[in-house]
Amino acid sequence: MSNDSFFTDNWLDLQRKYWDSWADMSRKAMGLEEDKKMTTPWEGALDHWWKAMSPAAPDFSQAFMEKMMEQGKSFFRMAETFANKPGDTAPSDGLSWWTKALEDMQKQFTGSLDDSGNTMQRMMSFWEMPLDNWQRMMSSMSPMPGDMLRNMPHEQFKDRIDRALSAPGLGYTREEQSQYQELMRRSVDYQAALQEYTSFYSRLGMKSVERMGDFIQGAIDSGKSIDSARALYDNWVSSCEAVYAEEVATPEYAEIHGRLVNAQMALKRRLAIMVDENLGAMNMPTRSELRTLQERLQETRRENKQLRQALHALEKQVAAISGKAPATALKASAPATRSTAKPSTRATTTRRKTAAKKTTASDD
Amino acid sequence: MMLPIDIRPDKLSEEMLDYTRKLGQGMENLLNADAIDTGVSPKEAVYGEDKLVLYRYETPEGVTPGQPPLLIVYALVNRPYMTDIQEDRSTIKGLLATGQDVYLIDWGYPDQADSALTLDDYINGYIDRCVDHLCETHEVDKVNILGICQGGAFSLMYTSLHPDKVNNLVTMVTPVDFKTPDNLLSAWVQNVDIDLAVDTMGNIPGELLNWTFLSLKPFSLTGQKYVNMVDMLDDPNKVKNFLRMEKWIFDSPDQAGETFRQFTKDFYQSNGFINGGVKVGGREIDLKNISCPVLNIYALQDHLVPPDASKALKDLVGSKDYTELAFPGGHIGIYVSGKAQKEVTPAIGKWLNERT
Repeated sequence: MSNDSFFTDNWLDLQRKYWDSWADMSRKAMGLEEDKKMTTPWEGALDHWWKAMSPAAPDFSQAFMEKMMEQGKSFFRMAETFANKPGDTAPSDGLSWWTKALEDMQKQFTGSLDDSGNTMQRMMSFWEMPLDNWQRMMSSMSPMPGDMLRNMPHEQFKDRIDRALSAPGLGYTREEQSQYQELMRRSVDYQAALQEYTSFYSRLGMKSVERMGDFIQGAIDSGKSIDSARALYDNWVSSCEAVYAEEVATPEYAEIHGRLVNAQMALKRRLAIMVDENLGAMNMPTRSELRTLQERLQETRRENKQLRQALHALEKQVAAISGKAPATALKASAPATRSTAKPSTRATTTRRKTAAKKTTASDD
Repeated sequence: MMLPIDIRPDKLSEEMLDYTRKLGQGMENLLNADAIDTGVSPKEAVYGEDKLVLYRYETPEGVTPGQPPLLIVYALVNRPYMTDIQEDRSTIKGLLATGQDVYLIDWGYPDQADSALTLDDYINGYIDRCVDHLCETHEVDKVNILGICQGGAFSLMYTSLHPDKVNNLVTMVTPVDFKTPDNLLSAWVQNVDIDLAVDTMGNIPGELLNWTFLSLKPFSLTGQKYVNMVDMLDDPNKVKNFLRMEKWIFDSPDQAGETFRQFTKDFYQSNGFINGGVKVGGREIDLKNISCPVLNIYALQDHLVPPDASKALKDLVGSKDYTELAFPGGHIGIYVSGKAQKEVTPAIGKWLNERT
């Protein structure tokens, strides 16, 4: 693709023209020219541009560009939020405007602000980043896309679920009912742990807003002013990161983190047991059986290698006495092409990668 | 009275335009970027078993390699090409220039068939056989070892169990005290049921480790750095270097389950080097057994292995020849920064040459 003249000339030229038109439109939207105003044009325009251009990007750089787009939008959102103060705001009114903006940010974290999914809500999604990382990681390890339990209501059904799950199984399918009840229990536990984790981040978000308020107060006290979106963004990141670093170092967070990982593992474990039972019913090898075989095989290989090493040492001693070269080597030299390459399917999901990787030559 | 945040619409417009123009230019550079290459120094595979490959690096012209050879033991997490990531940022290249005969263990990518590999298999198996191979081919009794991060902990265990096979030991950003107050990774893992995780997953997915590492500084590592990167997009070389680093960061092999179980429980949860009680292959690890010269290098701004976690080694080894080197940088900067090329690698070479 890199040598394709269309992409290096015409396409890029087209792209530049697109930007010029867009820049003109944006100027108007920002009120620099007398024309009808648009609300939040930057984020939308950036999104639109990327949708048009991304198919042409090489695979390996597409993900990278997407991250920059994602963060660019976050950066734009913040700039738009703070630049959209009323144009005729007097300095004294300006202070109360900032105070209100910070209060709105806090309300957003508590869920008590309804701005119909507008700028404040989108700006707060910046704090979704750690949760989003968890969700992506979960998705890569799960047969379900995303984290299916994340948005499932929990509290209002908890009592009923608990009651249902504590009912004993009956009759011929008692064991099966019990299995499903256990699976549900693990699901409920995981959901509770996830909500606890999410709540922790909401509290962190509120503290970050307070920290930002301190920063703004510091700017007022020192008579300085932030006059660029980038400086504002960097200060917001610093506030978030500083609060985050303090809070995740607490024993409380270590417990929440532990409960989340453990609950997820317990749920996966229960699913794995049920999958194994179904595989067994179909007369197919189960994961549990494979594990047993892997352990036994590794034990045998370990002994085999130790014996080979011991034999080689003995042969060396004999050779030293007799003047003949040892008959065995520790291990044949590796061919230059021996593969330590990354499995080709790793880029997709963890589930698939194990099947695709060609292992190197077996030793024993 | 001045407003604390006073972003004028015209300035904001200019900023946004500037950002988007750079993104546009960046697209051009990304379209022209070749596939990302890593590991730049010429090397040859000289030994292998299972997924392990032992590489020997080519000595540059005009340099006579010294004896004994230097074996680099890298961590199981992430890939060892970090030590040779690009032409002007290569620890290996720097070591070769000082006259070291450099070998490196590449552990490969364990899959579920490797889940039963234990610490004993890694320490007394793989590493020991690589050392034996080097001793035989070079006709020496001992080798020099350079252990990096978790590979440093492996090197300490190895040297403790096989002191007669190690001439000099260099540890880089190596955790020794796993429970220093500033060790976030350690704090987080204390409440994780490691047995449940390994019994459930078999191997521990690289994605899970990546998530943990990125969670140390989520806003900087998964957000701000991409905004910062836009400023560099007009430089094709910087784009390529950034992509190379991105590739490395997310190139995380899965961890063999049994090894992860033992390493995490014995060290992160039980702080085994400090408290003792760690057995590998039925033998107890005691760092007092390490009597060879030791050079311990740590990074002052390391957020993964805090300096105190490394410096604890001083009071634990039996060696009378113990040297510390503090590097003013981070966990990765110690290999890839320009400063590291000038300070760290030559210092290792000099220290080894003085003791060989």
